[in-house]
Parts: sequence; structure tokens; C-alpha cells
Amino acid sequence: MLKPLFKTLDRNAFALFCGALLFFLIGGVLTTVLPGMTEDSWSEPVAGLTELNEQQMRGREIYKREGCWYCHTQQVRTLVADTKRFGWRGVDAPISTPGEYVHDRPHFLGTRRIGPDLARVGGKYDKSWHRTHFRNPRDLVPGSIMPPYPWLLDENGGQEFEDLTAYIQTLGRAVDWRPDDDYEE
Amino acid sequence: MSAEALPKLQTEGALPLSQQPSAKWFMISSVVFFVITGLVGVVLSLKFIWPEFMGTAPWLTFGRMRPLHVNGILFGWLLAADIGLIFYVVPRLCGNRLWSEKLGIATLILFNLTVLAAVYTTLAGNTQGLEYAELPFLLDIGVTLAWVMFGVNVFMTIATRKHQKIYVSLWYIMGGILWTAFVYITGNFATMFTSGIGQANLNWFYVHNAVGLIFTPLGIGLAYYFIPVVSNRPLYSHKLSMIGFWSIAFIYVWTGAHHMIHGPISQWLQTISILFSLMLIIPVWTVIVNFYGTVWGHWDRVKQNPILKYLMAGTTFYLLTCFQGPMHSLRSVNAIVSKTDWIVGHAHMAVLGAFSFFAIAGTYWALPKMLDKPLHSKTLANRSFWLMLWGGLIYFVSLWVGGFMQGLQWHDVGIPWVDTVIFMEPFWVARILGGVLIFAGIIVFLYNVVRTLGRPDEDAESDTTAATPAVS
Ligand code: HEC
Repeated sequence: MLKPLFKTLDRNAFALFCGALLFFLIGGVLTTVLPGMTEDSWSEPVAGLTELNEQQMRGREIYKREGCWYCHTQQVRTLVADTKRFGWRGVDAPISTPGEYVHDRPHFLGTRRIGPDLARVGGKYDKSWHRTHFRNPRDLVPGSIMPPYPWLLDENGGQEFEDLTAYIQTLGRAVDWRPDDDYEE
Repeated sequence: MSAEALPKLQTEGALPLSQQPSAKWFMISSVVFFVITGLVGVVLSLKFIWPEFMGTAPWLTFGRMRPLHVNGILFGWLLAADIGLIFYVVPRLCGNRLWSEKLGIATLILFNLTVLAAVYTTLAGNTQGLEYAELPFLLDIGVTLAWVMFGVNVFMTIATRKHQKIYVSLWYIMGGILWTAFVYITGNFATMFTSGIGQANLNWFYVHNAVGLIFTPLGIGLAYYFIPVVSNRPLYSHKLSMIGFWSIAFIYVWTGAHHMIHGPISQWLQTISILFSLMLIIPVWTVIVNFYGTVWGHWDRVKQNPILKYLMAGTTFYLLTCFQGPMHSLRSVNAIVSKTDWIVGHAHMAVLGAFSFFAIAGTYWALPKMLDKPLHSKTLANRSFWLMLWGGLIYFVSLWVGGFMQGLQWHDVGIPWVDTVIFMEPFWVARILGGVLIFAGIIVFLYNVVRTLGRPDEDAESDTTAATPAVS
């Protein structure tokens, strides 16, 4: 039964074209279009989620422009190693949920962890720590390979540093996970 | 199993095809981008040891140069090389000429202008912030248009073919062009209308299929042509080609979510992506058996011919990389290797070891044929092969070992993060060595190509005179 079909596909370019498209579309639609309609959690923000203000938004654009997301992920996965490692001062980091990302465009989930995950870094350090860190990460963390970003601090009176840090400090704050509310400014 | 011979015409290049500017110039431009963006890769590898190296200006920092390397290699080199080789192969398989050389040249100009502009926007930090989809909107349009122009040219060539039977390579090339259009549009335009996890899902659909449904079918399609032609052996099995093609058409597209295993995405999507990732073994192994089967018992030809070496090494790397892929998708393995340098080693084996090797082999074979001159130097072709092979192996293995061990360390939460970074240093030094060797191989490749292009016509003449008595 299959033989004549394959014979046709061997000779008829149009039939081949249609077959290749059909096969592709089955999986394509079921894994992209369908979940877009069925997965409500993707568009339901978690309770504490607010939209970024203008300054934080500018900071987010700097994060995108400088490619911080090539070295840092923003997702605490369903692994003990993640929740323990990316928690701080003895409190485990809560696992990331789709509702935290609703306003993220582009998303910064990331693929590679050259540096640590940043999904829960908001409030972990104060602004002066970030200032020193962006000027030269190795001053604070010997052995770090994060690049220095002096121009963020030196140009326009350090406006870009202010914006970027304002954004960094929002990360993870929506889930408000610190029992003692010990976020740094 | 039935052996299938390529129709005579194709293998002998008896058609007056020596004047094929579109194919020729696509190949040449791709080699130039290979050198430039390969060098960017070497610079990046140095930054892992000297983070301040060339980092005094924003446009030279890691975050700007990484996308230049990745996009430059994927689009500037590999896709352009594949386009050039397809322009070369398709008319030979159809028994006619390229439908429109004019359209081909227009495609060349549009594509290369887009890539050049992308070099600028990338270094300027003008990015959409999505992996493989960094190019700004306007340039996405440029790529899409160029792709449509390329597709029309190829499909019209096939529609007006002289041989009725469609050889396997053409299935893959047609499928690849078609899928690329959909995958590229999803990754670069549909993502604009989504955010958060929905966008991530489309993004990974694109990233995964950029390799699986763009570079894989184009590369495999080309290898299906070059392996039998260069080894002068009939293709091992038609039936296997068929199983391979239709199974990849069906299976590959489901696997995008395996980039987010353990991540904030629905479990059913993760599970589906794992199941289909495992099934990928079917299309891959059918292709592998077919390629090995074609040269089986004739390994002496591989030994003597650098082009066949590239093709068979590429086949082996394809097998390995596509064995790793399904394994990474297993939840237990993924928990260790995901987000580490292991994956970077894996990705380089796919793009360099498999698909770039196929493209290099094709270029070494096709350019002299089109110019109607012999290749400048077989010895140099061999040298470039060994440099890239050893460089590649050092690169892959150092990142696998280092990445795997770093992954294990991450699970020991007592180890501070930066200590796992410092641990990687010797592996990153080895990676520099591997990268430099690969780059040296690319330079030799470029040199060989340039010398072939610049070869005075006397050589060609003496070749023809030598051949004349045999013909008459
Ligand atoms: C080349 C990779 C790389 C790039 C690019 C990079 N980082 Fe880092 N980052 C690291 C590494 C490695 C560390 C860990 C050592 C340290 O703290 O410096 C780190 C640490 C951090 C930390 C501290 C995290 C913690 O929990 O201690 C923050 C915050 C940070 N980076 C933000 C950024 C921002 C913002 C950018 C973009 C402007 C950026 N990084 C770009 C590699 C990178």
C-alpha cells in the first residue's frame, strides 16, 4: 500500500512539498500554537507581580544590550541544587513559575550559567556593592570572569548604572520570598 | 537493500555549468565570513582567561561579541555556504541550469548586505535579546526576503527539471527551504507578539529547529550528493533514505522544549520533547548507515582524499552529536549538563564538526569544478582537515569533561559559585588551544580557496589538453 505512495513522492515534487509541510505542521502546531491556547499559567501573573517602572525598564534594556543574559540565567529550576544555591542567608530560593515572567519581553530565561542565576538576586546586595562589582568584579570576587563595565558608571553621571541596578533589584521580588524582609536597597 | 546510482550526468558535470556566478560568489563570501567570525570566536575564548582582554570598549565586550560569533558562523558562513552549494548541486541533479542567475546574484547581494549590517547592529548592542534571533526587525526582513528569493530559484529549477526522478538530496533541500521559512518566521516575528514563557517556548522552538530543520536537512541533503559523488560509489540504500527523511520531517519539530527541562514550563511539553528527542535516533541512524554503507569497503579512498575525509568525519560527528542530544534530554542527565560548557562542546560538534565539515568538503569539491581548474593543493586540504579535526576534538572534549564536572559541582551547594568558575580554567585554556587550531585550519582553507581562484588559466588549459586525447 505504501509503495505507490512513495513512488509518487519520488517523482512528484509538489506532493513531496505538501507531505513535508504537513508532517512539520503537525508537531509545530501541537507544540507552539496549542500550548499558547491551553496553558493559562503562561499569562496569569503571580500575585505580587507589578510592571516595571520607566527607570527599571531602561535598566532592563541595558541588560539586554550588554548581553548579561548570555552569562546569567533567570530561572530557579525544580532542582534542589538550584533552590539551595540561589537562595541566600540560609533561605532557599523559591522555584520559578510561569506567572513571574508574564511581562518579560524579551524573556531572559537564558541557556548558559557562566555566572550564577539572577532570578532571586534582587535585594541580595546593596547599591554600593553593585557599583564596585560593575567597575571591576574581581575587586569583590577574586577569580570572577565577569567583564568590567566602567562606562555604565562613568558616562552620563552613572545614569546607566542607576537604571541597571534598579532593574536588578526587582528580580525575584514579585514572589516576596524573604521571611525577614531583609532586602538590601 | 538496493543500491542507487546517481544518474550519470550529475556525477560527471557534463553540463556547461562552469559559469555559475551565484553559487561561486555565495561560496566565496561564506569563506570570508568563516574567517572573520571564527576569529571572533578565538577572541571570545581568550576572555574566559583574561576577562579584561579587549574589553575596554563596550562593543568589544563578551555580551556583544558572542552574538556576533554565533550569528556570523550560522548565517554569514554556514547558511551562505549551504546556499552556494545548493545552487551548485540542484541544477546538476535536475539536468538543467539554475532557473535565474540574476535572481541568484540579487539574493547574494541582499543576503550579504543584511549580514554586514548585522555585524554593525550586533556590536552596537542593537539586539532583540533572543538567542539566534538577535538581528533587529529590519534585518529579519532582509533575511526572510533573501530566503524567499533563494527558495523560488531552487523550486523553479526543480519544477523545470529534465530528470523526472527526484534524488534524495532534493527532498532534503526542498524540505529544508520550506521548514526554514516557517521556523525563521516563528523565531523572529511570531515571538514579537508574545512574552514570558510563551515567548520562550517559541524561542526554543526556533533555536532548536534552526539546527534541526535548517542546518540538518541542508547539510544532510548536500552530504547525500557529495558522499556518493566524491567516493564514486552508488548510494547504499534508497529505502533508508526514505525512512530517514520522513522520520526527521515528522519528529524533529516536537523537541524544542527540551531546552527548558526542569524549567518553568509545563511538564507535558517537557515530556513530549524528551520522547521525541529519543526518537530522533531513527532518522539519524538511518542516515549514518546509509553514508557509511556507501563508502564501506572502500576506505582507501577516504585515506587518499581530503574531501572524503571531511565528509566521513562530518558523518561521524553527526552521529555523536545526535547521540548526545537525546541523552541530554533525559531528566537525570539534563540536571547535570544543562547550562554548562558541555552543551557548548555539543553545539560546536554539530555546527563545526558535522555541518561545517560537510560545507567545507562541498566547497573544496565544487569551487574547482565551477572554475574548471584543479584545486590549488591537495596537501593543504589535508592539512586544513587535520588542523580542524584535532582542534575540534580538543575543543569538544575539554568542554565536555570540564562542563560535566562543573555540573556535578553545582549540585554540591557547599562549593561557592566562583570556585566552580576557577575550576574551569585549565579546560578553558585547552579550549583556546583547540580554537586556535581550528582557526588555523580555516586560514589554510581560505588560502587554498584563494589560490585556486587565482590560479592562472594555463593550468586549466594543460588539463584540458591532457584530457582531449581521451575524449577524441
Ligand atoms: C562573561 C560572563 C558574564 C557576563 C557577560 C556578565 N556576568 Fe555577571 N557574573 C559572571 C560571573 C562569573 C559571576 C560570579 C562571580 C562574581 O560575582 O563576579 C557574576 C556575578 C554577577 C552578579 C552577582 C550574583 C550573585 O548572586 O552573587 C550579578 C548581580 C551580575 N553578575 C550581574 C551582571 C549583569 C547585570 C551583567 C550585564 C551588565 C553581567 N552580570 C554580565 C559572569 C558574567
